Amino acid sequence: MTSGELLLEVEHLQTGYGDLKVVRDVSLTVRRGEITVLLGRNGAGKTTTLRAITGLNKTYGGEVRYLGAKLGEVPAHRRVARGMSYVQEGKRVFHELTIEQNLLLGGFSTRLKKRALLEAVSEIYEFFPILGDKRALPAASMSGGQQQMLAIGQALMAKPQLLILDEPSQGLAPSIVKEVMERVHALKAMGLGILLVEQAVQESLEISDEVSVVDMGRTILAGPASTISLDQLQDAYFGVGTAS
Amino acid sequence: MGVGVVLLFMPFLGMSYGMTRQVMLSLMLALIVSGLNLNLGYAGELAMGHIAMYAAGAYTAGLISKAGVTEIWIQLLAGALVALGVGLISGIPGLRLGGWSLAMTSFFLILLVPDILSIFKESTGGRNGLTGIVPPTLFGQLMSEKQYYLLVVVVTIVWFACMRNIVVSRHGTALRVLKQSPVLASSVGISVFRMKLTAYALGSLPAGLAGVLFANLDMYISPEAFTFTVAMTVLAASVFGGSASIYGALIGAAVLQFGMNQATNFQEYGLIITGLFLLSGGVLFSGGIAGLGQNLVRKLDKLARERVGSQLVPAATAEVAPIQGARLMVESISKSFGGNQALSQVSVEAKPGAVTAIIGPNGSGKTTLLNMISGYYSTDEGSIALDTEEIHGLSSYRVARAGVSRTFQTPNIPEKLSVIEAVEAGRYATERVSILQAILRTPKFKRIRREDRLEAERVLNLVGLGEQRDSDADALPLGNRRLLEVARSLIGAPKVILLDEVASGLDEDELDVLADLVNRLRDAGLTVVIVEHNFQLVLRLADEIYVLAQGTVMAHGTPAEIERNPRVMEEYLGVINDADGSNLIGAGND
Amino acid sequence: MTIIWSGMAIGAVYALVAIGYNIVFLSQKTFNFAQASLMMLGAFITYLGIVVLGLHWWLVGIGAAIIIGAIAALEERIAIRPVKDMHNLLVTTLGASIILQGVAQLIWGGEPYRVPFFAGDGVVEVLGGNVYPVEIALVLVVILLVVALTQFAKHSLVGIALMGMSENREAAQLRGVDVRRFAFLAFAFTGVLAGAMGLFVGPKTYAVATLGASLALKGFVVLAIGGFGSLSGTLAGGLIVGLAEALASRYIGADFANLSVFIILVVILMAKPTGLFTRRKERTV
Repeated sequence: MTSGELLLEVEHLQTGYGDLKVVRDVSLTVRRGEITVLLGRNGAGKTTTLRAITGLNKTYGGEVRYLGAKLGEVPAHRRVARGMSYVQEGKRVFHELTIEQNLLLGGFSTRLKKRALLEAVSEIYEFFPILGDKRALPAASMSGGQQQMLAIGQALMAKPQLLILDEPSQGLAPSIVKEVMERVHALKAMGLGILLVEQAVQESLEISDEVSVVDMGRTILAGPASTISLDQLQDAYFGVGTAS
Repeated sequence: MGVGVVLLFMPFLGMSYGMTRQVMLSLMLALIVSGLNLNLGYAGELAMGHIAMYAAGAYTAGLISKAGVTEIWIQLLAGALVALGVGLISGIPGLRLGGWSLAMTSFFLILLVPDILSIFKESTGGRNGLTGIVPPTLFGQLMSEKQYYLLVVVVTIVWFACMRNIVVSRHGTALRVLKQSPVLASSVGISVFRMKLTAYALGSLPAGLAGVLFANLDMYISPEAFTFTVAMTVLAASVFGGSASIYGALIGAAVLQFGMNQATNFQEYGLIITGLFLLSGGVLFSGGIAGLGQNLVRKLDKLARERVGSQLVPAATAEVAPIQGARLMVESISKSFGGNQALSQVSVEAKPGAVTAIIGPNGSGKTTLLNMISGYYSTDEGSIALDTEEIHGLSSYRVARAGVSRTFQTPNIPEKLSVIEAVEAGRYATERVSILQAILRTPKFKRIRREDRLEAERVLNLVGLGEQRDSDADALPLGNRRLLEVARSLIGAPKVILLDEVASGLDEDELDVLADLVNRLRDAGLTVVIVEHNFQLVLRLADEIYVLAQGTVMAHGTPAEIERNPRVMEEYLGVINDADGSNLIGAGND
Repeated sequence: MTIIWSGMAIGAVYALVAIGYNIVFLSQKTFNFAQASLMMLGAFITYLGIVVLGLHWWLVGIGAAIIIGAIAALEERIAIRPVKDMHNLLVTTLGASIILQGVAQLIWGGEPYRVPFFAGDGVVEVLGGNVYPVEIALVLVVILLVVALTQFAKHSLVGIALMGMSENREAAQLRGVDVRRFAFLAFAFTGVLAGAMGLFVGPKTYAVATLGASLALKGFVVLAIGGFGSLSGTLAGGLIVGLAEALASRYIGADFANLSVFIILVVILMAKPTGLFTRRKERTV
């Protein structure tokens, strides 16, 4: 558990849906105890990259290594068991399950008994008190921000080493965004490696260690957060001819 | 046809009655299977009520025969009409739902046959069967065995000729489009429910005819002939011969009919064999399991494909003729899905002879807006109009007929069609040709078919796919499939065209073809609306840009204005704006 | 009252079919047409065990559960898993159902066999109606089964995982659920259930090869009334179908029993396609 150890390495990844190739050449790394933020405008291939990393989409070319081992064809549910937990965009919790059921399901990959999982659930309630107050209600009854907390709590139940967050601030009020970012920052301090995809550039840059920008399915800018300026980003987003 | 001729002369070649009887039974089975194929293979719905229609035809013939009407032509007509009636009545509830519900209601119909016969015991003989059917006459003359055999063959040939004419006409293409996707079907102006009902009703005709022929074969009918097991045999024959095939029905029926008789102890193993046919056919389903038979069937079907005389239009003449575009006015529309406000008070105006682009982040409501214009969602409030005609509240196929055509994010291309046929599907709603005209191949049908072909060639040349006109449409690479969709949406002479993320997955060359095409369409006067992620492409093409964010129009203007708009830049750089729109850069935690 | 009891009991049998449909529907959004044929075989195995081999009833119940469970597992591997197009599952599960029926006919012929009920076959009087013990047992067993399955779905990890998977397969995968394995096990479980229930179903319906088709359809009507995916809905659906059938048969005529159920089906499908006991969700393109 040394901070700075390489958790995830993605090299020249190619992936997509069927014959639609969305990601053509994406590379990034995530280290333990650090946050890597993946930026890029809509349709650039960020979510598709995450789907390939977590095993939902097939890798057409390039490589994904986790803790030094190639992932290849390892199915999604095994990747979770190895400590890679993914929060999909759009607050995707199980709406028909209660909050407590959602959290218990989050710990499914640990193969622990229900009793042990309930202890872990109470730790999540300490981290996100609002979830404890509403534990018996269906997830659908909560607000967007609370659902996002639940989604993160659910992902933490898997006892991850690498947490992957896809646009956690999407559709949330600014005050909530701030809160979510603070939580994410706190997680980093707990020793997790975090891969964050965000639209809220400013906020996410402030908490990140490493930045990678994709456009048209290719990594066009990458480096430590301290070396990348907002102007550079603006160019990357709107500049002409950056595609290839 | 050759097979038909051989069949015609078989009894004269000294074939035994036992054999001719088997041939007749196979042909009757083939008729029912063919009716099923129209639904299962072409419209893509498993509707198994054909045994009930077969029974309806048989009992109609039996009852009117006992009443003194022995003339076979009258019986055939009456049997077909009654079967059609049963088809229409039973089809309406099941077809509204499709899928499992349709399969189950139509299966249930078979279960009801003996009950209904039993309720009318006095006339139908109930479970004991109907006896006393009088031998059939033809033009007043008692029919001989040979004549009757010929009649069965002729009826079969006539039906299969009709079936072929339907399948290769635009109606057959429309059925395949429907099978691919009801959403696609309505986007080219096909009424999904009516098309399904038409297929179901048409499919009841051969079943009714088969029933009449069956009743006159043995002069005795009973509920035993119309059981669930028989229905399974029909389905197995369909799957074996290939459901999406015209002549496969004949082969499937022959194999099952003769197989049942030849195999020793077939009575005992019959169900198991039928089940195995269904199982293996369903697992390997790409049009039947008999490898050898299948090749033959495919060749036969190819022969049926029409050859419409046409000459390749050289690309140079692929000019875009002036188009009468229409002004699309979307005024303050709102839509929420279960408490989630997807769009609120969105107004968009798209002018003829201009390209209007709609951009915005994921989940900002772009696709919802497009779906509301196309009529897939109803509006909660607000109005959508085409020039002066209100189109909100119309069902999607009516919106398409009003002149709004579109492409889809994921290209929607039916199976088993050539490129040119897939494009022709877009003309279904432009000039109507009835199914009867298609069967008879009337001069009007032929004229429109020629026009379909010429138009299809013209639009294919426009998108640069002229050379691929005879390739399999669903086998094209993604970029070409997108261009094919554009061609299909153009062929119906639309006033407004909606292009939904049409550039994604295209390579540079294809992007140039597309950009050039959009420019030419605009210059010709069409109203073009594009929803697009590719910002450079939007800046290059659009005359007017609307930026959506969280379900509202955040900004609109010319490309130059949008490019200079700081709020748009922020949205793209992902800085959240709060309710009053003030800029929050630098408000993050520190 | 005799009619009511008999209607409720047959309704319970239909509800059992619908419960099987529902478990498969929840776990893989498909529909196993052969569910009723599995129950038919369960009745035959029970007959074989109790009458022919003279085994103790609970031994027969366990044996039937294992055998039918294995057949269901086999069906999943052959008729469901290899099928790529969801549409074809209609045809393949139907094929599986026909094969099972054919096998039963081959072994036992077309005649019905009476299956004795382990708790006795003497008529007793309950609430003013004459009723066989198995009829009361069927109603109780189905109610207990629904309660037990509902509790399981709410409280056990596996149950929660199944419900989560039913709502969103991909999200369940991301929580570590091996969705293919789960779907397989759920499918096999419906076979185990069909086998064990042979003890109760057999004495009511008798063991007869042609049982499958009509049970499959009635089970579907129960599902249509109760709602796809709703376990408690199957109770209400079974009650309605069973009573409708029994009452129509008693007061209008035996030929009207199926017809009345068919009319109920058509009316329900036209009025509320998702079932009477479910909330409707907005369709999306």
